[in-house]
Amino acid sequence: MNKLKLNFTSLSFLPILVCIPLGYQLINNIHFGGFKLFQEFLISAFNPKIDNEIIITVIKRLNETILIGFFSWLVSIIFGAIFGIISSNFFYKIFNIPNFFCRIIRFFLTIIRSIHEVVWGILLMQIYGINFSIGIIAICIPYIAVNSKVFAEQLETIDYKSFESINQINAAKFSSLLTLIWNPIINTFKNFGLYRLECSIRSTVILGLFGIGGIGTSIFLSFQTLNFRELWTYLWSLAILIILSGLIFKKIKFNTTNKILSIFFIAVFFITILFSFSYFLYFIFNNIFNNNFENTNSVSSLFKSSSDLGLFDFLKLILETIILSLLSTGIAISLPPLVIGIFNNNTSKIFIKIFSFLLRLIPTPVILLTLLTFNNPSVSLAALTLGLHNAGITSKLLFTNLDRQDKRNYIAMKSLGISKKTSWLLGLFSQQAKSYLAYCAYRSDIIIRETAIVGVIGSVGLGWQLQESLSSFAWQEVTIVLIAYSSIAIVGELINGKIKNSLT
Amino acid sequence: MNNTVLELKNISYKYKNDLILNKINIKINSGEKIALLGKSGSGKTTLISVLNGTIKPTQGEVKLFNKSFEELDRKQKSKITTIWQDLRLIEDLSAEQNVNCGLLAENNFYFAFKNLLNISSFKKAHKYMQLCKLHNSVYDKKIRKLSGGQKQRVAIARSLIQGSNILLADEPFNNLDPKLITTIKNLMLESVDKDNTKKSPKTALVALHRLDLLNDFDKVIGIRDGKIFFNIKRNNLKKIHLEKIY
Ligand SMILES: Nc1ncnc2c1ncn2[C@@H]1O[C@H](COP(=O)(O)OP(=O)(O)O)[C@@H](O)[C@H]1O
Ligand SMILES: [Mg+2]
Repeated sequence: MNKLKLNFTSLSFLPILVCIPLGYQLINNIHFGGFKLFQEFLISAFNPKIDNEIIITVIKRLNETILIGFFSWLVSIIFGAIFGIISSNFFYKIFNIPNFFCRIIRFFLTIIRSIHEVVWGILLMQIYGINFSIGIIAICIPYIAVNSKVFAEQLETIDYKSFESINQINAAKFSSLLTLIWNPIINTFKNFGLYRLECSIRSTVILGLFGIGGIGTSIFLSFQTLNFRELWTYLWSLAILIILSGLIFKKIKFNTTNKILSIFFIAVFFITILFSFSYFLYFIFNNIFNNNFENTNSVSSLFKSSSDLGLFDFLKLILETIILSLLSTGIAISLPPLVIGIFNNNTSKIFIKIFSFLLRLIPTPVILLTLLTFNNPSVSLAALTLGLHNAGITSKLLFTNLDRQDKRNYIAMKSLGISKKTSWLLGLFSQQAKSYLAYCAYRSDIIIRETAIVGVIGSVGLGWQLQESLSSFAWQEVTIVLIAYSSIAIVGELINGKIKNSLT
Repeated sequence: MNNTVLELKNISYKYKNDLILNKINIKINSGEKIALLGKSGSGKTTLISVLNGTIKPTQGEVKLFNKSFEELDRKQKSKITTIWQDLRLIEDLSAEQNVNCGLLAENNFYFAFKNLLNISSFKKAHKYMQLCKLHNSVYDKKIRKLSGGQKQRVAIARSLIQGSNILLADEPFNNLDPKLITTIKNLMLESVDKDNTKKSPKTALVALHRLDLLNDFDKVIGIRDGKIFFNIKRNNLKKIHLEKIY
């Protein structure tokens, strides 16, 4: 017998062990009160409500979602690129500026990024009230920081030697900079643009659940009134929107040799920058200076030590948040290869693909609320929700990479009489395991931030405390919770960065 | 009066614990054409990088027009052009865009921008690519799609289009067909007429391996293990010199 060896393949499956404590808690918390509701929820998926009235609502709401999603995408990708440039080492080499500034900018971006857009959203809503532009701003703040990291990472791949050669031509610094960064920037846009658009539509929907408007708000309202048929109308229309935007984005060829298209893109680029700046100024003057900050007190009061939040409770919340992240990450890593490996045939594959699409489509709060119909709120339930949603995302990546992979090994093993599952494991998956785990390390960063959303709804962890503190205007507590949150996220990002580096 | 354009005074370059260049003194006078001989690993590439200011020597001084690089402005520094051994083209840009990069020094930001958008004029670039015998099907191809010899000629065209009268070239004839070599060599050593007014003599230092190509050079420098073994007129080159360095 072979001993169990810890290689990348087994490491991909090992985290499924989180299901043991998770299952234990879930079984203990089961209740059958809402089972009928759950059944109704499932059946309504095949019988969404369709009439004139709801179609008009859908179109109106989708328009709002598209508007918020598209503009926050546009602004965040453009400013993401700009911040990506000024947080890349190259920029400082070309202009001979001490690298120290680069590290400061990166540090600030890391902090901004560590707080989820939903948290930014409820924070801003609490201060400025609910309106459209709050949605765009809430998404843009963390997204700019996230995008800038992606751009900066791509810019670090510029060959140092081509930098030296352009430098030796002695062009003006800005000309050299532009010539060097052009391709990495365009390629990042091509490769990540669609994905980020999808992300920003999803974020808009989630913010909608918290009242910002768009289809998310309709989803939330229909869930609250238990109108599941309506709910599914909204969900399916959202699915169509996401699929359509993907198709359109793929159709557009970013051909930089097409003059008219290039000029169009440049125009959009500058108009967006100008518009964002003027809007930003308008926003500041209109809101900050005219706003009476009665509720927020003064800045100094934020740091007063008096707080209702006991140290013990606080540590418990932090621990809960960490456990929540670990459990969800475990599910997101191990569930997809396990399910795909066990049900390795063409029919199951289609079902798994549809199911994982649904897991991506349905906003996590809605998944959680559905699960709450037959289970009491607990860390495990929140973890299951977050884990399933993210498993939907990791499984999409795994499918894409497996489909792309050379299948000769797999076919050869099968022809040797090795079982289909074993051949899949050793012939196909084992070659993916390393890059899959690297992606999961990155995914885990996002999971940590997303604990805020399920925390708010599922009454666990710091997310819950944040909501509580905000609604009682306890700004010291809010500050402490935010600091705790961003510390966990930053530490998590550091650990995941180390893991990713050792995997690539 | 000897007008020295480029001078190395007692240059040493240390990388970690290796002494890669060892107390090198070279004077390059205006219009001189120098061949740099030495086997692989002898320090030719490092010497050229010191000469164009890319590498700062650990010890010693580099003087261009009797000034150190720090004292010179961008215009003066752009009097030197380099053909790198590893070419250092931008792989994702087309051949003509890369050649146009050679014009970045004399043009403004707007030109760089237009070049990337492919809406700048490629007339001059095409002229130089033609001189380097590049077929016009190559013009708009990405560098990564070209053969070794084509890339080599794109790099040469990018360097020549700069119109600089000091040329540093590091094994520029690699990958080239024998027939092309003579054409390209003449092109490289030819005097420059930047504004079609008067030709200024070209100063050149070319690292190479092939002894049959030496006849157009005035001087030969031999380098081994980072040390200069001889620095003589080409006519005085004897077999015994070559035995020292190979
Ligand atoms: N980037 C580098 N790092 C470490 N050693 C280097 C580097 N570049 C060159 N060397 C060393 O310096 C010496 C001279 O190299 P080089 O200048 O490239 O010689 P040549 O161009 O004559 O072949 C060699 O021993 C080489 O190993
Ligand atoms: Mg060399």
